[in-house]
Amino acid sequence: MTIPVEAVGLVRRFGDIVAVAGVDLRVEPGEVFAFLGPNGAGKSTTVRMLTTLLAPSAGTARVAGYDVVTEAAQVRRAIGVALQDAAIDPLMTGRELLRLQAVLYGLPRARAEARSAELLERVGLTAAAGRRVGKYSGGMRRRLDLALSLLHEPEVLFLDEPTTGLDPTSRLNLWDELRTLNLEHGTTVFLTTQYLEEADQLAARIAIIDGGRIVREGEPNRLKAEVGAPTLRIEVRDAQADVARTVLARFGAERPDRAGVLAIGLDGGAAEMTSVVRALDEASVVIEHMELNAPSLDDVFAEATGRRLEGADGDAAAGPGATPGEPAA
Amino acid sequence: MSALPAAPSPARAAPGGALLGVARGLAARSLVNVTRRPSAVVPTIAMPLFFIVAFSGAFSSLTDIRGFPTDNPINWFMPWAIMQGAAFAGMGICFGVARDLEDGFYDRLLMAPTHRASLILGPMLAAVVRVLLPVVTVSAVGFLAGARLTDGPLGMVTLLVAAEGFALVAGLWGLGVVYRIREQKSSALIQVGIFVTMFLSVGQTPIDLQEGWLPHVARLNPLTYVIDMARAGFVGPITWADVWPGLVAIGVGLVVLGAWALTGFRRLVR
Repeated sequence: MTIPVEAVGLVRRFGDIVAVAGVDLRVEPGEVFAFLGPNGAGKSTTVRMLTTLLAPSAGTARVAGYDVVTEAAQVRRAIGVALQDAAIDPLMTGRELLRLQAVLYGLPRARAEARSAELLERVGLTAAAGRRVGKYSGGMRRRLDLALSLLHEPEVLFLDEPTTGLDPTSRLNLWDELRTLNLEHGTTVFLTTQYLEEADQLAARIAIIDGGRIVREGEPNRLKAEVGAPTLRIEVRDAQADVARTVLARFGAERPDRAGVLAIGLDGGAAEMTSVVRALDEASVVIEHMELNAPSLDDVFAEATGRRLEGADGDAAAGPGATPGEPAA
Repeated sequence: MSALPAAPSPARAAPGGALLGVARGLAARSLVNVTRRPSAVVPTIAMPLFFIVAFSGAFSSLTDIRGFPTDNPINWFMPWAIMQGAAFAGMGICFGVARDLEDGFYDRLLMAPTHRASLILGPMLAAVVRVLLPVVTVSAVGFLAGARLTDGPLGMVTLLVAAEGFALVAGLWGLGVVYRIREQKSSALIQVGIFVTMFLSVGQTPIDLQEGWLPHVARLNPLTYVIDMARAGFVGPITWADVWPGLVAIGVGLVVLGAWALTGFRRLVR
């Protein structure tokens, strides 16, 4: 069976800047694969190379079995792409854009019309299809973009930050659509995101990219299990931070977190919470906030890079059904 | 690092857009968008109309100069105004491409399995149609204001060929610039190039009446011969000698600036 996406030593330089510094990837057929990383990590540059928009400076990649450099035309036939900034002409109507997309992909008119109607229905835009896209909401544009990328029934679908900027409801709807697409149609999905929850919810496997390199790769649950201990976070007065840090060091290694928060991997798990509270009390540390979270993808990212994923808090707040953290087991 | 082995072809694949089909589709989009953003097409019509009215009035005495090819100022300025409209038509499609590049729509085109030439041919087809706007409107105003064909309807044919040729050449020049700069600010450079070329030709004054270094530059300027062709049917009987230098100039322009546009296009996906 053809490997949908495979890259070896993929590098992209822009002058002296190395945006992607040797990425190795393999996405299995029918898989939802999430490429997770902060802004500027190299996600979009990698996608642009895989979708033939940028030539790699070094390394090789095959998409749908074709080399992205020497067989770019074949790659383009087999993929659907929705890029980060939904590039949709605001002067055109949804239906006109679908017609143009059909022309670009060489679909016969009758098939294109039927497929367009089906996709418009699926993404809930049938009623809005005759309106200019400039009048659409952000969520509607994303859904139209998804419909455009699916028109020719691609073997591999690339989605570059598909839910960035969407409200929680629109984000949930898009997730549902992607799940359906993957489960019912077997489409391989290569998804880039900076949202931890998105990767966690949708992907069978993820790769975390930072500084142009993949720092972790695997199934989300396995990666989280590898982190081991749950994360204990406490907030104390600034003047007591050093004392609290010294106390916490007895219970586990410090983990990076946002400013004002002390975090450790609590080696003994939830059973040790009482001991921690007692120790802090004996040291006269006043605890202003305390929480124990099961390992998350953010912990995986933090362990791999030494810092939290940019916007992780915003992500949790913005994500539908988002919670501050999973309860410890 | 090892190269990846070749794999069998995928089960699903789009056939890919045909050269002419995609070009027609892109041209249609460009033309439909003109109707939805009328401001984009105003220069194509308004500027030539302004020129024909203002220049024919303000410089009407020019035709009294001994050696001027016609005594009818409208006959002199109408083809010149139409050539300006043609320039705007050619440049206008480039501004649209610049907008597409800037807002990311062009990525959609680049990722489609189309014949790459269709992405250049499409805007060129749009330019060919857009030229008809100044040709029709400025001619109508010109004839109402007193323009007369001096060698029958053939004069309109040579004018149309010259206008279409110039629009294509201007469009290719503009595309080459846009592909390199990739932003709408490229429009300034495109216009400077076109207008300097236009004003260093015989647009306003016959070459024999120009003085100093101007006639030397005008003789070297290929646009001079295209404008001569455009005016041929308005200043006397049309001869082959009025036409062939213009056709050659257009041909050379298409080849040279076509290569300029193509090399710029290739830079987009490096």
